[in-house]
Amino acid sequence: MAYASADEMTFGVSKYPVKAGLGLEIGAGYTIPEVNYAPRPEAGASKEKLVREYERITTDIMARMVQVGFPAVILETEHVQQMSNNPSWGAEVAHAQKTIMEEYHDEYGIKCALRHTIGDIRENRDFLQLRGDKYSVFLEAFEECAKAGADLLSVESMGGKEVFDYAVLRNDIAGMLYAIGCLGSIDMEMIWSDIAAIAQKTGTVAAGDTDCAQANTAMFIGGGLLDKNLAHTLAILARAISAPRSLVAYEAGAKGPGKDCGYENIIIKAITGMPMTQEGKTSTCAHSDVMGNLIMQCCDCWSNESVEYHGEFGGTTVQCWSESLAYDCALMNTALETKNEKVLRDLLMLSDRYRDPQAYVLAYDNAYRVGEAIVKDGDNIYLRAKNAAIACCDIVSEGAAGKLELSRFETKALADAKASLDSLTDDMDTFMDDCLTKYKSEVKVFLPENYGF
Amino acid sequence: MLDFTEASLKKVLTRYNVAMEKAMTPEEAAEEIYPKDELIYPIAKAIFEGEEDDVIEGLQVAIDAGRDPIALIDDALMVGMGVVTRLYDEGIIFLPNVMMSADAMLDGIEFCKENSETAPVTKGTVVCHVAEGDVHDIGKNIVTALLRANGYNVVDLGRDVPVDEVLAAVAANNPILVTGTALMTTTMYAFKEVNDKLLEKGYKIPFACGGGAVNQDFVSQYALGVYGEEAADAPKIADAIVAGTTDIAALRDKFHKH
Repeated sequence: MAYASADEMTFGVSKYPVKAGLGLEIGAGYTIPEVNYAPRPEAGASKEKLVREYERITTDIMARMVQVGFPAVILETEHVQQMSNNPSWGAEVAHAQKTIMEEYHDEYGIKCALRHTIGDIRENRDFLQLRGDKYSVFLEAFEECAKAGADLLSVESMGGKEVFDYAVLRNDIAGMLYAIGCLGSIDMEMIWSDIAAIAQKTGTVAAGDTDCAQANTAMFIGGGLLDKNLAHTLAILARAISAPRSLVAYEAGAKGPGKDCGYENIIIKAITGMPMTQEGKTSTCAHSDVMGNLIMQCCDCWSNESVEYHGEFGGTTVQCWSESLAYDCALMNTALETKNEKVLRDLLMLSDRYRDPQAYVLAYDNAYRVGEAIVKDGDNIYLRAKNAAIACCDIVSEGAAGKLELSRFETKALADAKASLDSLTDDMDTFMDDCLTKYKSEVKVFLPENYGF
Repeated sequence: MLDFTEASLKKVLTRYNVAMEKAMTPEEAAEEIYPKDELIYPIAKAIFEGEEDDVIEGLQVAIDAGRDPIALIDDALMVGMGVVTRLYDEGIIFLPNVMMSADAMLDGIEFCKENSETAPVTKGTVVCHVAEGDVHDIGKNIVTALLRANGYNVVDLGRDVPVDEVLAAVAANNPILVTGTALMTTTMYAFKEVNDKLLEKGYKIPFACGGGAVNQDFVSQYALGVYGEEAADAPKIADAIVAGTTDIAALRDKFHKH
């Protein structure tokens, strides 16, 4: 654990700050807004249209930051598939964006950096093809974007998703553990070793991954309090299991800031001490969650997840959302400067702590405990994922004995999950062999060769 | 950490799912609506519990007792699935229960077909696909499972489906409804192309779209589009069509919530 205690963690401060882009030091005593956006659907029609769209987006954000007097900003471009499938497209967008950012930096001194999140294009219509022909294009997209101006390199990789999608819709805890904890981690090790090497070669930052494809799928299927698609006690189990999986990026050489939609990032910050981006109440433009304030508790960068570029009353969407993010950061930075950061951190956390079991486990003190469970068997990808899941069950059970209210359904789903976890072997090889046999037969789209089996 | 021990949550949050929870357990609720026929009851119960082996065992017992395998699809399997979908619609059970029950029901249907010379009749055919360029298919998988659970024949074209392939499937299967799902704003543009080509070929068939970044405003831009906010809307739209509401404006009026 990078921190001696959970209380040591706050927003804006990490153990290992990251220098990036034009004058930024991330996690070095201040928080930074990180704006994310999506082009309008018709912009994907040609490379020229796409580049022009990103130029408009970049200019709008930089102009608004300067107009309202914010000192720093990060822009995150999540690739649409054309940009990763054709690395020259992504590179051209990165170059165009960085040129505009440099102009603003030179003229106004605003600190800024550009994150490019490459699309995980390693699949064809029928199957994931994690190690197939597209892997070289995937890596080329990272390298070309890094050379063209991207400062921070990320991806939302999909290893394990084919088994996870099957398991999560069947309350299959062992399947979730296998998909995220084992298959996801195996794939993460391969890609992040390569991405870290590219970052080193190009003088950029390997920033980190997120288990969007799995833990966020569980969170979105879980939905709101009245949705009936997945018990929130299972959604948080998927999240807890995702932490050791996303941790692999940092073990393989990533430095942070971890990507915004990784709600597991608070656990990873506790373990690694590296800076993390988070998203919550200011990402309602992209999706709802049940911890919008809480998740801000220890962020280093604060994101809006994504918003489609178009006009609003207050300007374009990227202007409106970047301004909201930056005001939040101004508040956090004021708390840091006046030494009130722990009060604000706790107010943010307590306002959502009991809203949902997902929020309860991700409260920084409980997240720290999940981290401790992970590092206990840190060299065993199966056991550390299983430990995270068991710790998560224990934390929710303890919460339910206090102020955390659970529905009967959530309580039963939790009890069933705990029983399922208790029945699992402690031997990784046995677990992996059993799962390989089971899911090879049950999940038509699962190709073991994707994981080197 | 700030001391919250004595603080009240009342002005901070309300867990409405706890406050509104039904008194009855799912098992009790299901027990009340299972069919009473002693040959059908165990099949319906096995469907509810998602136990494939028990479904097959129950079907074998019923067939041995002289029941027609194809008739058992409607009289036992769909009745059991009806219990499941009703309790799901009423908020008593959750989606994974429906998925596991649907798996068991599909195994049961295959078993009935294998034991009969005739083909079953369904409520209608629905063509389902994920937009061209988009490989995110969990939403489509939920839609197809719920449609099948409600007695529809589903032609599942999979993900990243070229527009012309959707058109070919419509020509070959005479569906009552086409569904399209997409996660990303850039891929959902393919829906408009599907719409335009359907119209060009003279198909005035409802085209239900939803998922990720898809929203009602976007779907309303093309003539055949009907927005489905939830996967569970798909069988409801299909039911409305079967019941006679085929006019797009009327379907929008019924299903567009915003």
